[in-house]
Amino acid sequence: MRRWFAIAKATTLEILSEPLSLLLLLSALTLAVLAPALHYHQFGESTRMAREAGLSALFTFGTVFAVAGIFRSFRRELETGTAQMAMAHSVSRGVFFFAKFSGALAAYAVFAVILANVSFVMVCGAAVGGEIARRSGDIARLWAPALAAGLAVVVLAPAVAAALNRFWRVRFVLSAFAAAFSISSAGMAWFMDFPLAARLSGAWLVLAFPAAFHIAAASAFAVGMRQSFAVAATALTMTLSSCAVGNYYLADFLSKGGAVPWMYVAEALLASLPAVAAFVVLGVHLFERRDIA
Amino acid sequence: MSENVIELNSVSKTFRDFWLRPTVAAVDALSMSVRKGEVFGLLGPNGSGKSTTIKMILGLISPNAGEVRLFSMPPQSSAARAKLGYLPELSYLHPFLTASETIRYYAGLCGLSRREAKRRAGELMEMVGLSDVANRAVGGFSKGMARRVALAASLVGKPQLLILDEPTSGLDPVSTKEVKTLIKALAAGGMTILTTSHLLADAEDVCDRVMILNRGKCVAEGAIGELGASLEDFFLAKVGDVRDFKLAGFLKG
Repeated sequence: MRRWFAIAKATTLEILSEPLSLLLLLSALTLAVLAPALHYHQFGESTRMAREAGLSALFTFGTVFAVAGIFRSFRRELETGTAQMAMAHSVSRGVFFFAKFSGALAAYAVFAVILANVSFVMVCGAAVGGEIARRSGDIARLWAPALAAGLAVVVLAPAVAAALNRFWRVRFVLSAFAAAFSISSAGMAWFMDFPLAARLSGAWLVLAFPAAFHIAAASAFAVGMRQSFAVAATALTMTLSSCAVGNYYLADFLSKGGAVPWMYVAEALLASLPAVAAFVVLGVHLFERRDIA
Repeated sequence: MSENVIELNSVSKTFRDFWLRPTVAAVDALSMSVRKGEVFGLLGPNGSGKSTTIKMILGLISPNAGEVRLFSMPPQSSAARAKLGYLPELSYLHPFLTASETIRYYAGLCGLSRREAKRRAGELMEMVGLSDVANRAVGGFSKGMARRVALAASLVGKPQLLILDEPTSGLDPVSTKEVKTLIKALAAGGMTILTTSHLLADAEDVCDRVMILNRGKCVAEGAIGELGASLEDFFLAKVGDVRDFKLAGFLKG
């Protein structure tokens, strides 16, 4: 358990220390914050637009974050030799693989929670702004509260990290993630609306299952690149399954106006679990067969 | 008869490319044994198969033929690997972790508790003289500093067998001397040590027995004193090749 925890923790830290990870987070947050506000026509659906921009940002950037994070982490372990150092200890290859998968999942969870918090703040801010605009008759005020709250995270997180790095030598990217997490959580607490949070959490969970699948598939792909048959099979299955698991539930959720039944979340979980398990088993099998030279 | 900690019986390893075509026979029918409590040196020129042999002992790569035993167990056995420490040829470290976090990471892989890992990390940072930079990310360390962190990481689990691949690589003369003193001190405390080097002076200073490899084969084996007055002369006689000196001729011409 300690070995699994040590590797998983190092993997989470590694992915959250990558400059690319922060770039993806800030891009996703910028999309979630600005996309709804920049639309010319609002049609009185500002909260829905804020919600869908957040979901789109998580689906697109979250997938890239999950795949790039674990793939780069595994390849770096194998190419730079840190896997050799780990494997020279009493750590089985199965534990090593599963711990890295778990660590990547934890890093994705941090990414998703920050984005979910900001998306929630945007939805609540759009509702508040809509009320202000209606009372004042000034449509320009519609997005003011949401933009102020959303952009605070995008701007303040790197600023806080830069200050920590400048004065206390704290690692910049890691502290930017920590700052984004803290600021966005504070924003969520400020606007807290439990029924809305419960409704949105179903949609976020539905998106988390395909991400788990992508992480498992990318892990298997990263350790089995030399086995050409496995590569082809993995790539084909990954493409087919990701479409089946991810898009269907998201599209159906959005078509129902955001009220996803919990039974549906359970179905999405059941649909993705076998695929995740299959790729973890495939990855462990490929990893056990390969030389770590 | 002394207990053998490592045993290799007619071990061979041929690497293959993506299409499974053989590329290089790195080790060819090698047999060797390392006894408990001795410092054993694996010597040879670059590309002679030293690192490949070590990786087979560690269970990182599988031999095509022959058998490897570590503490009388297969090298993939967790019980066998729990007793060893390994310092690779290059200091493979996670660049985003601090020196202290690196030691605690490897302490975690040894199964140490959080409190014990923190204590050991403090002791080892002190031992390798890096206490003042313990909270800096190792990605910014010099090669010598990274080497010291890797050495500390290899000792964190208090191993019975220490495998050192080119332990003085990248170190300045003072650090080299310190590492050799450390090896002697660890050996005096009963630790079995397998070290590789192409620096013969290092091997002469610390090893009880050596094996000389050339092109994946053993060309000589014995105690330092048995191999003649000068290990360097003996080594060159066994593995020296006039083709190595073509460059001098080219420059003259």
